[in-house]
Amino acid sequence: MAARTPKAPRRAVIVAGARTPFVKAFKEFLKLDTIALGTAAVGALLERYAVPREAIDGIVWGGVILPSAAPNVGREIALDLKLPPSVEAMTVTRACASGLQAITLAAAAIERGEADVMIAGGSDSTSNAELKMPQKVVHAMAPIVMGGKATAGDYLGALGKLAPFTDILPKAPKIAERSTGEVMGEAAEKMARRNEVGRAEQDAFAVRSHHRAAAAIASGRFADEVVPVTTPNGQRIFADTMVRADTSVEALARLRPVFAKNGTLTAGNSSPLTDGGAAVLLMSEEKARSLGYTPLAAFRSWSYVGVDPADQLLMGPALAMPEALERAGLTLADVDLVDMHEAFAAQVLSILKMLESDAFARARLGRERAIGAVDPDKLNVHGGSVAIGHPFGATGARMVTTMANELHLTGKRIALLGICAAGGLGAGAVLERID
Amino acid sequence: MSDLLVELSANALFRQAIKNLGLPLPTPQKLRRPKGDWVERPLQDRAVIVGAGPNGALDATLAATLPAAGADPHLVTVGGAPAAWIEAGEAFGRPPRVHAPGEAPEDVRAHGLVFDATGLADADDLRALYDFFHPWLGRLATNGRVIVLGRPPETQTRADAAGAQAALGGFTRSVAKEIGRKGATAHVIYVAPGACDRLPPLLRFVLSDRAAFLTGQPWHVGTDASLPPGTKPLRPLDGRTVMVTGAARGIGAATARSLARCGAHVVCLDRPGDEGPLSQVVRDVEGTMLSVDITAADAPQVIADALIGDFDGVDGVVHNAGITRDKTLARMSPEWWDQAVAVNLGAVMKINARLLDGVLADQGRIVCLSSVAGIAGNAGQTNYAASKAGLVGYVKALARAVADRDITVNAVAPGFIETRLTAAMPAVTREVARRLSALGQGGEPRDVAELLTFLVTPQAAGITGQVIRACGGMFIGA
Repeated sequence: MAARTPKAPRRAVIVAGARTPFVKAFKEFLKLDTIALGTAAVGALLERYAVPREAIDGIVWGGVILPSAAPNVGREIALDLKLPPSVEAMTVTRACASGLQAITLAAAAIERGEADVMIAGGSDSTSNAELKMPQKVVHAMAPIVMGGKATAGDYLGALGKLAPFTDILPKAPKIAERSTGEVMGEAAEKMARRNEVGRAEQDAFAVRSHHRAAAAIASGRFADEVVPVTTPNGQRIFADTMVRADTSVEALARLRPVFAKNGTLTAGNSSPLTDGGAAVLLMSEEKARSLGYTPLAAFRSWSYVGVDPADQLLMGPALAMPEALERAGLTLADVDLVDMHEAFAAQVLSILKMLESDAFARARLGRERAIGAVDPDKLNVHGGSVAIGHPFGATGARMVTTMANELHLTGKRIALLGICAAGGLGAGAVLERID
Repeated sequence: MSDLLVELSANALFRQAIKNLGLPLPTPQKLRRPKGDWVERPLQDRAVIVGAGPNGALDATLAATLPAAGADPHLVTVGGAPAAWIEAGEAFGRPPRVHAPGEAPEDVRAHGLVFDATGLADADDLRALYDFFHPWLGRLATNGRVIVLGRPPETQTRADAAGAQAALGGFTRSVAKEIGRKGATAHVIYVAPGACDRLPPLLRFVLSDRAAFLTGQPWHVGTDASLPPGTKPLRPLDGRTVMVTGAARGIGAATARSLARCGAHVVCLDRPGDEGPLSQVVRDVEGTMLSVDITAADAPQVIADALIGDFDGVDGVVHNAGITRDKTLARMSPEWWDQAVAVNLGAVMKINARLLDGVLADQGRIVCLSSVAGIAGNAGQTNYAASKAGLVGYVKALARAVADRDITVNAVAPGFIETRLTAAMPAVTREVARRLSALGQGGEPRDVAELLTFLVTPQAAGITGQVIRACGGMFIGA
């Protein structure tokens, strides 16, 4: 009997991506919440690529600041877009890696044979973060709200429980670690110090991020990916609003440190609070070809890791990126493009140092050698979050879209992605062009 | 039991007032104690100053230990940082800062001063101690640590070298007394040749807040028991069973809790009649209760049966149960003599003999509770002191006998600990006893518990046959 040739495994492919312009928080997108931003991105994706609506199996959405009244943002997007009710949806959160998480979940569902066509991505509206009522108020009011007929005594009792009143004011949202109380910028400031990353280095990196993003906008490269959005008051936003073509090291050097007195992190070399949404269309390779789409790229591997948030909060990619490479059976020499989320220039530069340190590899990865130094010409070729902005849940989908397009447009073969995230999380992924 | 002077001394105004008025009142520093479980980086973000005398042998070990434990290393050396420190700096994001000898910049608050004195070989070499510590001692933070690393004098072939190494003991005990009012402590660690792999866990422990009440202590790190591979800094006792006698209250109860926090299943033993408080401890630690009179003839067998029946043996035993029956010898009844000696010494010997016959696992740990006051001798405590001093000789001999099974046997000698026993002392005696120590205060049961727990962990393999004091640098005792 002839040996059976093993069937090639099902492959999930990235067909297209689209995103809203990324806009500074509390500006033009103030009236668009997370669901609206997601709807804008997914709607534009479906329209631009003429996706047959009845072919869609589901949506996996990522978000960080989820609306408490409707945390399953993915399902709300499907309903708002009047997609067939059969388009099921879930919403995931893995801090700043949420968008990538949504996409790899969708890819996994396709590769397991659960679905053929999936939409995945993420959105976040920092402008619409909810102010929290302190738990103390909620618990004190419970007997009145939940207990049927409340007496005057109940009200007095509730009031009594609330004293002292100083800690019952609604709390402004803050990007602080729950476990350590450390604000993310402080953590990055610490990483800059501990990895000996200076101010000048960070500013130079930030300027490069702006210049590269500006060039991508000016050349029309981002027009493939960014769709115009009309705000409720009729304003039409065509492109990312925070990219500065004219910024310079001298201009950034004038900014004051924001997280520590003698610190090195400034508004100029950190990613800003941003509103935006991004979506990616994934299909099984067979389905894509049968529907007449050109597959751009596929995941060869991915990796999610966790480190102690009290140590170096944003170092996760230094573990996840080598692991993803190893799972893909590749070395850094095989990689044509590297795309790293720029939470802070200091964090990217710290991670680059770790990636090229043999001492780090031995102590932290159990590997004899580091993966090596990343060529700056291959890194974040169209800029990154420092310039473009960082709507938490959307960034992963922005990166996957840009890299999938870049592989397709340039004919390059392999892209390595890295994302750091709150809670000491890190993500890495390897994308491969499809011929 | 709260110590009013410690509480008051936490107030800066009070300290200032005492100083300005010139009152002869001690102002003991409130000790910083650990908050919870063992952590991966006990020295998180704390500056540790490292120096070495001529021919120091432990630089690589220190480089592999301190940055990984979270410390920010400062090296006192001429020239640049050695490669081992630069590597560790890259690996853990703790780049070394280098200071020239004699310089101690004011912006550095030193949590630890660690000096490698292993190469000191004669009287002239001892000057290196002075040169390193003299500028830095003033930069030592409250609750800081001074660690001197040496070679056991008896391993030195040259008499001059043996003398230089023995000198480290006197030096450290004196430093301990000089820095005690800051809540800071000092230790000398004698590392036998070939034992440097057993040093890191001990260094992490004595530099951490877990060793708050230990000071002036010489430690010997040897090669008798091998270090099990893959010891974990977090929950080091996961999957292990440890028995604690006298677990109903005081040091025993604190030890049961501390062991459980490290992952151990704790078998809590106390005598019949104490089931009330004992069961409370058992509930807290989700352990197992064993109600046995340890002096009963069948106690060793009953204990062995319980440990084998329920757990397939035991990995560690803490002999904490102890009693006092105080009377001057002339007035003491034979019953009181017998009771004290039977509980404090006889039962320990008999139970160990039975457990060492197939119940205590290889690489097991035995720790006995001795006593600083007991060893020093006390009028009215001939029976107690005899039994507590007896344990010292006993653990030394037993350690040698079971070393081939990688079992370690040690004794811990608490000084003045705030317990039910000491609360019952006359007020003036109690006050004097508290203050007659380098730290100027009594310890808490958990201070002893932390030490006992460390000695029970697999990573304490380098320490056996020793008596470790948990006494805050008490001025009395042998």
